[in-house]
Amino acid sequence: MSKQLLRYILEKEHHSFRKEITENWAAEYCTKGLSPEQRMADRFERLTNMETPHILPDENIVFMRTIKNIPDIFTPEEWEQIKEKRFIHELGYMSNLSPNYEDTIAMGLLEKRKTADEYGRHAIDNIIALADRYKEEAEKQGRQDVANVLERVPRYSARNFREALQFFRILHYSLWLEGNYHNTVGRFDQYMYPYYKEDIEKGVYTKESALELLEDFFLSFNKDSDLYVGVQQGDNGQSMVLGGCNEDGAEVFNELSELCLIASRNLKLIDPKINLRVSKNTPIQVFELGSELTKAGLGFPQYSNDDVVIDGLVKLGYDRMDARNYVVAACWEFIIPKCGGDVANIGALSFPKIVDTVLHRSLTEVQSFEDFMEKVKQEINAECDRITGKIKDLWFVPSPFLSILMNEIKYNNFGIHGTGISTAADSLAAIKQYVYDEKTVSPAELTEAVDSDFAEHSELLPLLRYHALKMGAGGDIADDISVQLLDWFADSLMGRKNCRGGIYRPGTGSAMYYLWHADEIGASPDGRRKGEPFGANFSPSLFAKVNGPVSVIQSFTKQHFERVINGGPLTLEFHSSMFSDEDSVKKVALFVKTYIRMGGHQLQLNAVNAETLKDAQKRPENYPQLVVRIWGWSAYFVELDKEYQDHVLARQEYSL
Amino acid sequence: MTGIIFDIKEMSLHDGPGTRVTVFFKGCPLRCVWCHNPEGLKKETELMVKVAQCEHCGRCMKPCAHLECMPFERCLLACPKGLVGVAGKLVETKTLSQQLRKYKDFLNMNGGGITLSGGEPLMQPEFAVELLQNLRGFHRAIQTSGYAESEVFKKVIENLDYVMMDIKLADPVLHKKYTGVDNVKILKNYQILKSSGIPYVIRIPLIPGITDTSENLKAISKIAQDSPIELLRYNTFAGAKYPMVNKKYTVKETKNNEVDITIFQNGKML
Repeated sequence: MSKQLLRYILEKEHHSFRKEITENWAAEYCTKGLSPEQRMADRFERLTNMETPHILPDENIVFMRTIKNIPDIFTPEEWEQIKEKRFIHELGYMSNLSPNYEDTIAMGLLEKRKTADEYGRHAIDNIIALADRYKEEAEKQGRQDVANVLERVPRYSARNFREALQFFRILHYSLWLEGNYHNTVGRFDQYMYPYYKEDIEKGVYTKESALELLEDFFLSFNKDSDLYVGVQQGDNGQSMVLGGCNEDGAEVFNELSELCLIASRNLKLIDPKINLRVSKNTPIQVFELGSELTKAGLGFPQYSNDDVVIDGLVKLGYDRMDARNYVVAACWEFIIPKCGGDVANIGALSFPKIVDTVLHRSLTEVQSFEDFMEKVKQEINAECDRITGKIKDLWFVPSPFLSILMNEIKYNNFGIHGTGISTAADSLAAIKQYVYDEKTVSPAELTEAVDSDFAEHSELLPLLRYHALKMGAGGDIADDISVQLLDWFADSLMGRKNCRGGIYRPGTGSAMYYLWHADEIGASPDGRRKGEPFGANFSPSLFAKVNGPVSVIQSFTKQHFERVINGGPLTLEFHSSMFSDEDSVKKVALFVKTYIRMGGHQLQLNAVNAETLKDAQKRPENYPQLVVRIWGWSAYFVELDKEYQDHVLARQEYSL
Repeated sequence: MTGIIFDIKEMSLHDGPGTRVTVFFKGCPLRCVWCHNPEGLKKETELMVKVAQCEHCGRCMKPCAHLECMPFERCLLACPKGLVGVAGKLVETKTLSQQLRKYKDFLNMNGGGITLSGGEPLMQPEFAVELLQNLRGFHRAIQTSGYAESEVFKKVIENLDYVMMDIKLADPVLHKKYTGVDNVKILKNYQILKSSGIPYVIRIPLIPGITDTSENLKAISKIAQDSPIELLRYNTFAGAKYPMVNKKYTVKETKNNEVDITIFQNGKML
């Protein structure tokens, strides 16, 4: 890649081109009485017109945002009215979908225009007009190479690798500009491979020069990503999925997949977010390439297990061919590209809250642990009733351009996260052991301790926190309880129809709820203090004295994942010294493969160094590029709020 | 039969072929000034407190009635931060091998095995032999100083698939000065190992100014000849655990001298 371009972007020099929109478009639309479609079309036209083409030094893949903010199409009052009648998910705009870039790149926008509706045609015309202005700018700057590419795309089909990459960039850019978010990348190494292969065979590129172009392309994801803020900076959903099997079930990791892993490793930037699909049949060399990337410390790749995920999706009712094409949404939710309209993160069930409720309602009355668990089961059911009962009449702001990039929607399922599993399972294991089996702690004592955040019966805190059985510490009891909890979660959601005719999919993810749900309850019977977060996603509790990574993967592969396959990875942190030499990197690769062979569904493996992170908290100015993994995306450590930084620091780190 | 161990580490990448599960035996006849497992030196159990994070709340000092706390005059169950522990646990070979058998599938898939380390495993030879015999079917390795009577050494290594043995210092006087014992037994056992037919490697911990001098390395290379050698770079965190067992770490230098690996016929830097 061009060092000059990388520096330019890292030092944010391109931000100087940005301008802010201060007018209130929503009020204007409201006065004019425009329909949502009209508003979206008008806003897109205004934005494309206002965008100023800039081509950065050495830039080969162009299109960059120069408008900072996208004004809302509704006034706050209008939103309130909408929300009275309809269920609005997050921001109300479309997100977390995996569009059909492939066909559009192969057809060209003019061809697509023929079947588009009025608003779609309008959007296409706007994009082409902006591309033409980019072409003029390229000519003006003497960048005939760029102009030639734009002469062809996005109007017509891409004929080669570079045109295909530029085409993708324009489509992806347009999706963001339309106001959609968490716009994922999908199976990039599959749909781009024919272009790559043909160019390599023709001798247009060597593997090395193709890598350079690919790195330029990867850089393009980082030009505007600071404008795509989710819960935190970095939470932007630009997820790319590599490897895995094709619709016939054959492994399709290819040379382009390999180059993507290498490009990410070379650039060391937080976008695109790299996911690697693997199975027990994936050759060890692929895992080794993955571990080489892990070593770079970006929290990439996130692994998912085809053996488990595909079967799980099929059991949920997905066609096998579609399931074999699965990708991830912004973080780790499994979705189907092109024809999937799932809302994979529509709600979340807090397992620790269930335990807390039953503890307060029933612990003093219930005579046996089995009866206590029966109450837990009932409460899971009741909570699923409440969650699903709220989701009626879901409505999204229509997105004319995104709609063009989607096939006919086949799946309208809703995903529900299951959060704090280890906090809940460890709490129940403690209740079983101390209250019911050994009877060394009375129900009243435990309740008082929890309610007072262990100010009362303070001797229980170290006992429950450090000496009780935990998931990841060889505690079979806690593991078995977690299996039970997830099964009940699945049982409860099974057979429920959602308001779009789809089903509900339970999962093992937490997203940001590891903080939010933790604040909803006080202390918990596993010795977790009030205010302390849960483990992120599907992971041991933060203070559990686990035996090591092997015990952790043993604990976290027992569950019936095919029943809770909405997504949500086990997270492991390896100290960066574990990647010190080539031999060790290979051993880590074998470890990951073992996790897959043991039937794990999804793994987030990070190389970290707590000393470096602590120093970065003290001297952030020295670490502008230090990357860490949060709950399903990677971010620059110093740009995070402290509570997220602290959570990373509190995670168990395994060293040599 | 019982023995005393102080840790089981689940994923060691540098303790033998493949990924290892390492069992740390407690007790060592050597007193190497650079030892990074000071809790492995004494044969007896001992109190281990993570003093750096201690807020001196005094809870562990209050008398308690727990049997397991009695020998330490501290309550092991009282610390709200979980900082008070004991290094060392008496275990039955049967229980321990059952515990280790849980790792069988994992280790097979990772081309690894069990490694005995310490402390010094040869200090508990009967325990080591019985454990190793119970672990037939695993790849079994040892990390040892080689300091033991030759009969003991032979008896233990017969049950092993791989031996990692240190030669720290060639000069017996310096050896005595820095490790507390001379190296006569060690060098004798090295000859036994060499002719045993058991795959092995000689390891040299590179301690700044002590073992990483060119005189010492040249002398070891003469002893080692064509034996496989691994040189272990100095770990700057070597002294980290000393305050926890109320000891002082005395090695001041933190950076290794330049090492010329080519003086060894068969050397490798780790």
